[in-house]
Amino acid sequence: MAIEPGDITRIVAPAAPITRERMRADIARMLHEDPDEIGGDDSLMDLGLDSMRAMNLVLTWSEGGLELEFSDFAETPTLNGWWALISAKQAARA
Amino acid sequence: MTGTPEAETFPLAEAQAGLWYAQRLDPANPLFHAGQYIELTGPLDRAAFAAALAQLVEEADALSLRMIDDPAGPRQCLDPAHRPALELIDLADAPDPLAAALADIARDMATPLDPTRDPLAAQRLFVLGPSRHIWQQRVHHLAIDGYGIILLTQRVAELYNAARTGNAPGNPLPSVRVALNEDAAYRASEKRAADGAYWQALFADRPEVASLAAGNPASAFTFHRRAVEIDRAAFARLRALGDRVNVPWPDVVTALAAAYVQRHTATPEVVVGVPFMARMGSAAARVPAMLMNVLPLRVAVPAGAPLADYLTGVARSLTRARRHGRYRSEQLRRDLKLIGGQRRLHGPLINLLPFDEKPRFAGLESRLEVLSTGPVEDITFTFRLHGTDGLRLEVDANPDLYDAGSVEAHAARLAQFIAAASDADTLDTVPTATPEEAHWALVTLNATDHPVPDTTLAALIEARMRETPDAPALRFEGQTLDYATLDARSRALAEALAERGIGREDIVVVALPRSLELVIALLAIIRAGAAYLPVDLAQPDARLARILASASPKLVLAREGDAPRFAGVPVLSPAAWPRDPTGTPLAGPKPGDAAYVIYTSGSTGEPKGVVIEHRAIVNRLEWMREHYAFTPADIILQKTPATFDVSVWEFFLPFLTGCTLVVAPPEAHRDPVALARLIRAEAITTAHFVPSMLAAFLAEPSAQGLSLARVFCSGEELPADLRDRFHRTLKAELHNLYGPTEAAVDVSYWPAARDDRSLSVPIGFPVWNTRLYVLDEQGRPQPPNVAGHLYLGGVQLARFYLGRPDLTAERFVADPHQPGERIYATGDLALIRPDGAVVYLGRSDHQIKIRGLRIELGEIEAAVMASGLVRQAGIVAREDRGTKRIVAYVVPEPGADLAILKARVAAKVPDYMVPAAFVALDALPVNANGKLDRGALPAPDFAGTGQRVPETPTEQRLAALFADQLQLATPIAAEDDFFTLGGDSLAAVALLLRVREAFGRDPGLGALFAQPSVEGFARLIDAEGQGEDSGLDPLITLVAGDPALPPLFAIHPAGGISWCYGRLARALAPRRTVYGLQAPALAPDGAVPSSLEALAADYVARIRAISPEGPYHLLGWSVGGIIAQAMAVRLRDLGCEVGLVVMLDSYPCDVWRGEPDPGEDGALKALIAIAGHDPDRLPALALTRASVLAFLRASDSPLGRLPDAALDGVVRVVAGNNRLVRSHHHRRYDGTITHIRAGLDHQGRHLSPDQWRAYAREVAVIEVPALHAHLTGPEATAHIAPTLARLLAAEDFKEPTCATAV
Repeated sequence: MAIEPGDITRIVAPAAPITRERMRADIARMLHEDPDEIGGDDSLMDLGLDSMRAMNLVLTWSEGGLELEFSDFAETPTLNGWWALISAKQAARA
Repeated sequence: MTGTPEAETFPLAEAQAGLWYAQRLDPANPLFHAGQYIELTGPLDRAAFAAALAQLVEEADALSLRMIDDPAGPRQCLDPAHRPALELIDLADAPDPLAAALADIARDMATPLDPTRDPLAAQRLFVLGPSRHIWQQRVHHLAIDGYGIILLTQRVAELYNAARTGNAPGNPLPSVRVALNEDAAYRASEKRAADGAYWQALFADRPEVASLAAGNPASAFTFHRRAVEIDRAAFARLRALGDRVNVPWPDVVTALAAAYVQRHTATPEVVVGVPFMARMGSAAARVPAMLMNVLPLRVAVPAGAPLADYLTGVARSLTRARRHGRYRSEQLRRDLKLIGGQRRLHGPLINLLPFDEKPRFAGLESRLEVLSTGPVEDITFTFRLHGTDGLRLEVDANPDLYDAGSVEAHAARLAQFIAAASDADTLDTVPTATPEEAHWALVTLNATDHPVPDTTLAALIEARMRETPDAPALRFEGQTLDYATLDARSRALAEALAERGIGREDIVVVALPRSLELVIALLAIIRAGAAYLPVDLAQPDARLARILASASPKLVLAREGDAPRFAGVPVLSPAAWPRDPTGTPLAGPKPGDAAYVIYTSGSTGEPKGVVIEHRAIVNRLEWMREHYAFTPADIILQKTPATFDVSVWEFFLPFLTGCTLVVAPPEAHRDPVALARLIRAEAITTAHFVPSMLAAFLAEPSAQGLSLARVFCSGEELPADLRDRFHRTLKAELHNLYGPTEAAVDVSYWPAARDDRSLSVPIGFPVWNTRLYVLDEQGRPQPPNVAGHLYLGGVQLARFYLGRPDLTAERFVADPHQPGERIYATGDLALIRPDGAVVYLGRSDHQIKIRGLRIELGEIEAAVMASGLVRQAGIVAREDRGTKRIVAYVVPEPGADLAILKARVAAKVPDYMVPAAFVALDALPVNANGKLDRGALPAPDFAGTGQRVPETPTEQRLAALFADQLQLATPIAAEDDFFTLGGDSLAAVALLLRVREAFGRDPGLGALFAQPSVEGFARLIDAEGQGEDSGLDPLITLVAGDPALPPLFAIHPAGGISWCYGRLARALAPRRTVYGLQAPALAPDGAVPSSLEALAADYVARIRAISPEGPYHLLGWSVGGIIAQAMAVRLRDLGCEVGLVVMLDSYPCDVWRGEPDPGEDGALKALIAIAGHDPDRLPALALTRASVLAFLRASDSPLGRLPDAALDGVVRVVAGNNRLVRSHHHRRYDGTITHIRAGLDHQGRHLSPDQWRAYAREVAVIEVPALHAHLTGPEATAHIAPTLARLLAAEDFKEPTCATAV
């Protein structure tokens, strides 16, 4: 079977795509909080997330090969805002 | 101007405002540019790139900002004409296109701009070849911050990639207006007020801010940069550690870098600056603009804390700081009033960039080089992630504060520190120095191995004495001993000691003043094989008894009269010493035997006896002899008291060298006048000074211009300005030595040469077979320039503290770096300079030094407590008004009589350890840690206790001098004692200099010690004045100098008194005897002579009586010059040799003859002028004898202290001189007149030295910038004295010529 160029992305893409719930859990761990406490539209800044922790999260999520721009994440620091960014990138790669 | 008047203007964002003022203050500084370039390799689509850039500058409107300097405050507007167009620079044909591009970029970055006029940004594309380009961006910091540049770069890449791939380019960058609106909203918000309150509370105590280098952190025009890669494995460990403790790895790195800074400042806490993007969660998150803030981060590094705890603690502080991170640090500085000077909010910057900034251009390789991110005030540590697991450290530093070498060192050391910390459980186990630095500090610098014969002082000296038996060995007060005699007398005494059973490892006390016998005693003791123990008879019996009890000496060598001080120990006084050896064999010492024992102050109150062996002191002396190339021609001065170990080399080095030792008279060591005389008279080549005494010595006029081969300093810190003053004053090498008594005198040396520019004069490098370590608390070597504890090792270490194994074990410890060796903990703090020289920084304990004498405050405290009069005592050395003094703060026992406290303490400790003041308090102030709060102790009141107001003019004047010298504002009573008022012996030396200037005489230092009260010392001054010369005799000695030099005779001006020449006489170097001739008519019965010729003849007779042989040097001011010329003619008549004839601004009688005799009014005016006042400025003063005399009494002129009869005499003499001058007719002097002209005077009057040409063979004119009336003042003397000294020297060495005139 020939490998088409479109297949290559799929090969390097993470086995498990990033989910909204994984993001919620990652954020909660950074904040020493229970995931249930992270509401979709809560300002993550108000919950105690700072820029360095946010950057760390963005770096973690980009490890699978997603090209994420931190500045986009800085603009909308909510779980819903960030999920929109991630899901758009993952959709573009799919 | 391109902006239109209608253009909308905005105020500056807070972040911009700080930069605006900084750039306005430093308009030529190009470091306000942020800049970077990206090298693009591959087929660049130039059209797509140009389109992407055009789109970028359209979106990023901050790039077209223009500043407006409005009187109401700076504003800005968007100026489309300032929008940067892409410049295309084709260098493809250049020989080296890359180099040409980089040179162009460097030039561009180094060009400052005016933000009100010039475009703030530039976008430049260099074509190096078909597939090689460099894209440079340069944007003024007012328009952008580091994060903003990344946004610009990424946007260009995004637009370029979209054009190349056909994908959507993403959202445009928002306008700068969004950021400005946000800024305005924040400024007005409650959030800002809350943020401000947070920071103000956190910094309410205004912590001290330390950094890695001293100096003013103001950005230079360039900076140093060194980059280094953090070890990949270590970085991976740090990330894993961060994950484990749930701290983002960038915060882990920040915390470690802060700990690294703390290692260098040695403060419990540091404040570092952490750049903060200030965008998170804001509408301005994607706006390229200047929004960045610097957060001050307080970091304490507690010893022993687990690394995880430390990291989580710092991370918590960082999170809190970021939560309040939009509050500007400039504003916080203003809130805290840390404005101006060097008041800083934070030290080094630690900047983490935890993302790969390299842009991704489709089909191209790119390489990013960040050129500048703005001004570098101090030092910035930037950590950049590259790829996914690489971390690069960039160190940028201000070149005014750091040299390139130390920047390189910091890069390597911090990388090493972080790598080591990644593996550690606690930072305590992480060394500061790199392994290379540790090896250099411990081994390379201490490679001092040098062969020294394994012998004894006695053997070396005996060999030398036999070699040159006839050479002079020892001189003291005019007596000289040759080596043969010294050998015989010291051997005879050694035999006498041996007969008494004294030999190896016995101790013999020496308690003799400086004398021939003292030197003989020391030599005899070591030749007998014993160790000598010098003791000071001035110390109290109690302390002496403790020393004797501890040392158990076999014998005491002391004068007969002092024998009772040594109850229980046999005393052998010099009268009983045999002079001729019998030839009995002497066992002599072995190299490992004790050579001497010297007691130093001990912190427990008990003096400590330091035992030094022969091997140790032989090393020290042989090093010195060879290192400084001593020869038998040297003449070494012995002036240090034997109880101070500096004396050891003074005593013995001469006899190892075969040269001469000159022993200064007792007490001369603290008398600069006596020392200068001795050094000159004995042609001393080598002398030692404690720095504070050197300062006093250099201030002594007669020391000016002295020439020696070398001068050694030790005992205290040598200040840099003293080194420079030394080289301006004396001609000699200056060497700074360092060493405690515990290590055979000195262990390090530094040539403090004329061209040494060290701001802290180092103690230098180790001597032979010696190690100097600067260690941290864990005993690890410190890197260069980092303070640590100074330890000494090597052959010179003392054996132990006599009879105190506990103290010995505490200070002499095992060398952790040389198994089997010992090191001595000096208690000194030091650092090693990058050139290897050690610099002394201070004490780590309460030991202090006053005038080179080592003092343990604990010993004083013990003495104070032992008085039984106080419940609590705190002893401090405090510096008030420039003088360091010991002050005892005490809480008295109820009902205790503190009047006797000083006497009780003085009975226990030597005089130099008795506190200058005792201050009674209800309780001692303590700080939070329960320690004595030194800052809260009141300044001692040195007011005297006397009642009687000074009465006589001498008392009044002397009281004023006391107050002046001691800087006392309170009135001084006649009974007050100079030393009780806070004076010490150095202040006493300075006082005597002033006394000499004011009174023209000086009873001497010994007299002041004997009579330290105002009334007592005034009596001595008066007595001296009325002694052999009342000050008004016709011939007085102004200065007694070298008898080999022909004296200078100074003839009085119009008033008949010649005291005015005192200053000039004292300033002459070499010191020469200067006599003053004064009018005989000053005496009540003195007649005014009939003519000036008769007066000159009388004076010639007087000078020939005192000095029968010529040549006669003559000098006179004003009328004195006229008389000098007449005397020169008269001397030639008599066939005498005339030397110099010097006139201070005298003019021939012809010019005065025509003027009317000023009469008595004129005489009185002249008297006022002689006293140093301008009579024309005292119109209210009635020109009567009574009122003028009253005025002079009230003034500070020495004339005011003359008895009435003498003042009458002065008025008479002034009038008489007016008459004599008018009737005098000059004869020609067939020689040279040297005329010193007052260059600032005589405007509009025809007075010229040429007018003397008719009356001399030659007139040599020297002009000085002074008024006639000020010719003997300090400024004019500074001009005249060196010239006069040179002329006198030339005259003295002139070949005697036949008299040319008869």
